[in-house]
Amino acid sequence: MTVQVQSLRKSFRAHEVLKGIDLTVAPGEVVGLIGPNGAGKTTLMSCLLGFLHPDDGEITIDGRANDDLDVRRRTGFVPERMNFGRRVTGQEFLRYMAGLAGVPRTEVASRSAAMLERLGLGGAEHKRLSQYSRGMLQRIGMAQALIHEPDYVFLDEPTSGLDPNGVLLVRDLIAEQKARGAAVLLNSHQLAEIEKVCDRVVFLQRGVIAHAETLRHVDKIVVAITLLPGSFDPVTLAKISGVVPKENVVVVAVDAESDIARIVRALVESGAGVIDVRRHTADLESIFRGAA
Amino acid sequence: MNAVVIRETFRRHVTHAGYISVLVLIAILGIVSAQSIRPATFWPGLVTLLAVVTGCGIIGPEFSSGTLQLILVKPVNRSSYLLSRVTGVLLVIWLAALTGCAAETLARLFNKSLVLESMGIGLVNVMAETLLIVSLLTLLGSITRAYFNVAIFYGLQIALAVGAAVLRMSREVPAFVLEALAAIDRNLFPDVPPLPNPGLLLLLLSNAAVALLLACLAFNQREVPYGAD
Repeated sequence: MTVQVQSLRKSFRAHEVLKGIDLTVAPGEVVGLIGPNGAGKTTLMSCLLGFLHPDDGEITIDGRANDDLDVRRRTGFVPERMNFGRRVTGQEFLRYMAGLAGVPRTEVASRSAAMLERLGLGGAEHKRLSQYSRGMLQRIGMAQALIHEPDYVFLDEPTSGLDPNGVLLVRDLIAEQKARGAAVLLNSHQLAEIEKVCDRVVFLQRGVIAHAETLRHVDKIVVAITLLPGSFDPVTLAKISGVVPKENVVVVAVDAESDIARIVRALVESGAGVIDVRRHTADLESIFRGAA
Repeated sequence: MNAVVIRETFRRHVTHAGYISVLVLIAILGIVSAQSIRPATFWPGLVTLLAVVTGCGIIGPEFSSGTLQLILVKPVNRSSYLLSRVTGVLLVIWLAALTGCAAETLARLFNKSLVLESMGIGLVNVMAETLLIVSLLTLLGSITRAYFNVAIFYGLQIALAVGAAVLRMSREVPAFVLEALAAIDRNLFPDVPPLPNPGLLLLLLSNAAVALLLACLAFNQREVPYGAD
């Protein structure tokens, strides 16, 4: 049940948007896709879902082509913005989607009702989609993607437009998919959300994967050491900490607390005036800034 | 073919207030047609218009609205989806044609002027003509966006008529050019009187089949833009 992308390339006329992407999403894994605007995230997502045809490279899902109907039967997708005939009611829409996804006819009504309830749309099933708020559309978008319990879930900004309760709900739903063993790819600009739900994060930049990080590595202990200006030699400092200082602050990432003491001791022994040592957990924002 | 898509397409149209109004209007025109000597006089025009209005929404607008993305990730073959949409729309149109025909038949029964054979021919011809219209709009929708299909449909019709008229005024235009234009016009936009004409019927059906085949080929190859226009 692995989503695998190999050497994926896609150009629009002379502009090469994806320049050889390699990516794997394993069963039970949630991978976050982040990157600045124009990095190629949407193009990658579109290629994965079969909306765009890659120029080169290969996309396989569970060893099959991504347009294989059996693969599609096990695929769920939440678009960033739900666009559908707005005259239909939530219930009609969900039943239609469930029918298309291959949910047995006898189960369509019960599963739709359960999903609407689960997504907090219990009282709004007979409302037309035109009367739905942005958050409600996002919720029903999530419902249509998960109603057939897919093995491969592609989420594009699933929390956009949601209130805090909705965000928590989406977080729970993603955790449920992971627990079920589904492979989840989450495209989002919400770095905090990615950090909370993803096992791994991929930074896409100018059509290449600039950085891939397993988030448990992100949880390294990062220390900001402030030094007395003029009290240190940058070259010596770089040798000790492995990092070039920015002005009089050096930020180092270590695996254990004992490493902090070792570095601070070495700095003091080299003659550097240590003013302050602050510990903080590295967040995606800092990594994003670094990668971008 | 996908029964879910056909059912949903049909359901969405027949529950639309606009469609119900047109259906009532067609029934009235059917009754009015019964006053005419020639059967199937008035209501076929409105059924043809209904074919244009419903047919133009098949694929083009779905590209632009972003609706297709939700559909294409589902286990439905693209050609199957396209043909199911066409079938759903045709059922809607043919229901309207049957309504007009039924209303006229009942009125003629009342008037004692029933010409069952001509009525049947009129109905079959309208059904075949609307099949061609919907097929052409589907083909144009599969290669354009939004409602450009209907604009091209009418644009081409006008261009052929005006072009032929203008060229006919010039003596230098070779006859085969005029014949070619007339042939295109006959094939794409034939006049379909409510008269028995197996040749015309065959032309309508074969042209519709070619248009649908081309539409499926184009739709299968086409990339679907992400998001709405």
